[in-house]
Amino acid sequence: MVGRTTWCDYPAEARAVPDLGDGIAPNIEAVLGQRPDLVLLYPSGRNAAAAERLRSMGIATVQLRTDLLADVTRVGALLGRLTGREREAAALKARFESALAQATVKQPATVPSVFLLVWAEPPMTVGAGSYLSELLQRGGGRNAYDDLPTSSGQVSIESVVARHPDAILVLGDSTPAFATRPEWQAVAAVRERRFVFASGSQFAHPGPRAPDAIRALARSLVALP
Amino acid sequence: MTRWLGLAVATALVLLLGVALGSVPLRPGDVFDGLIRNTGEAAVIVRELRVPRVLLAFLVGGGLAVSGAALQALVRNPLADPYLLGLSGGAGLGAVLAIAFGGGSPWAVPIAAFAGALIAVALVYRLSVVAGRRLDPLVLLLAGVVVGSFAAALMSAIIALSDAPRLRNAFLWLLGGFSSASWPTLALFAIYAVIPLAVLLLAARGLDLLALGEEPARHLGADVERLRRRIYLAASLLTAASVATCGIIGFVGLVVPHAVRRAWTPMHRVLLPVAFVGGGGFLVLADLVARTVLRPIELPVGVVTALVGVPLFALLLRKSLA
Repeated sequence: MVGRTTWCDYPAEARAVPDLGDGIAPNIEAVLGQRPDLVLLYPSGRNAAAAERLRSMGIATVQLRTDLLADVTRVGALLGRLTGREREAAALKARFESALAQATVKQPATVPSVFLLVWAEPPMTVGAGSYLSELLQRGGGRNAYDDLPTSSGQVSIESVVARHPDAILVLGDSTPAFATRPEWQAVAAVRERRFVFASGSQFAHPGPRAPDAIRALARSLVALP
Repeated sequence: MTRWLGLAVATALVLLLGVALGSVPLRPGDVFDGLIRNTGEAAVIVRELRVPRVLLAFLVGGGLAVSGAALQALVRNPLADPYLLGLSGGAGLGAVLAIAFGGGSPWAVPIAAFAGALIAVALVYRLSVVAGRRLDPLVLLLAGVVVGSFAAALMSAIIALSDAPRLRNAFLWLLGGFSSASWPTLALFAIYAVIPLAVLLLAARGLDLLALGEEPARHLGADVERLRRRIYLAASLLTAASVATCGIIGFVGLVVPHAVRRAWTPMHRVLLPVAFVGGGGFLVLADLVARTVLRPIELPVGVVTALVGVPLFALLLRKSLA
């Protein structure tokens, strides 16, 4: 490992690897400076151009989509093949899958519906096909907007009122500022401060810490009044 | 007379539709119950969310249209809109600063946007006074472009240098919308808007004179400098408050005054009140479309005003040229 993006912050040892900047539209010069044999990129329009340039300079590139839980084991196996460590990759996959199965709540007594509020001004949520929604489901909850036609979107407060979420998940570790805004008092879960806190990058993108994230959510959901 | 009646009926209809329809389908009976009774979910949705939202959209739309009409006469440029004079850049910079560094106050973003807009207005005013001493329209436009560009550059620098995903959402706020409408917001905006609106409506005759040009206006006895200063400040203060409450909503301030000028009259004594009502109704309608076409997803209202406003404008141009 000769380079990472600014956002690759786990585990702690990752910080010892040189930080080469952003992961979307990477700094090609900084990447070349590390003389890599292989560059891993997230697939996006701007990264496709970067991958093309790296390839033209004789450096192998792979674009890996890492959006959902299933991507963790898929990408793990692929990296095992690419680096010639298939046995280790298989062991890692087995460990991850058993941890995931252990963390998953099998038969929850009740399935609270949770409004996944990823941004408050304006209110933005994510649909069923999102990582956060997957974590919630495994933690014993249900996405209040699992019928959202897009992966994410802005929703109106009146539709939140009508859906009666049992709790609101916010990305942070304390009661959010919007909770005191007058228009949000129409939502019972806001009035009664029924918040579930998801703070840390394990909730933001899929990875080996997914089981921890699921356990944390399951604890919060059980503790709901 | 029939035109006034038509406008009144159309406005009442739009306001009613705005309250009756929304992202949650309610039966007309439930909407009516919600309006007159104080309990139940329909009451919460109708009274606490829809009514203040519709009224706020009406006031903001009216304010933007009046500001736009006044500024178009002031700078004698048909392309002038309320955000032209550096306001949107200043407000955007304020909002981005609040999102990037702001603490826990639920009002941090609107307050910072308002402060940013006011600073931009003050800078533009100062620049044009220093340069021309008479608020020359051309200098005013240039100062607006300069201040706006500078604020936009600072905004881009902040976005490039800080936590990316958080700031991508700052753009969502800037795209405009009424999701944060509530009774306190509405009351605050309504009280604030009274004075600048009154100043602009009372300046109708002065605007007619300014529209003729500086020399004719002077010959007809207008104190051009004072008039310009008053109109510029009133329009800017009104727009600054609307940016703070609901972000940047384009096209209302540009299209509505033109529509009224072409379809009704260019005389400001009539143009301004009609533009107020027309702009208000237009924005209520645009917001209604924004919150219902893709429900439960809401569109930024600025997208709708442009999608509706541009074809409307084109049609109007064609009709008046034919």
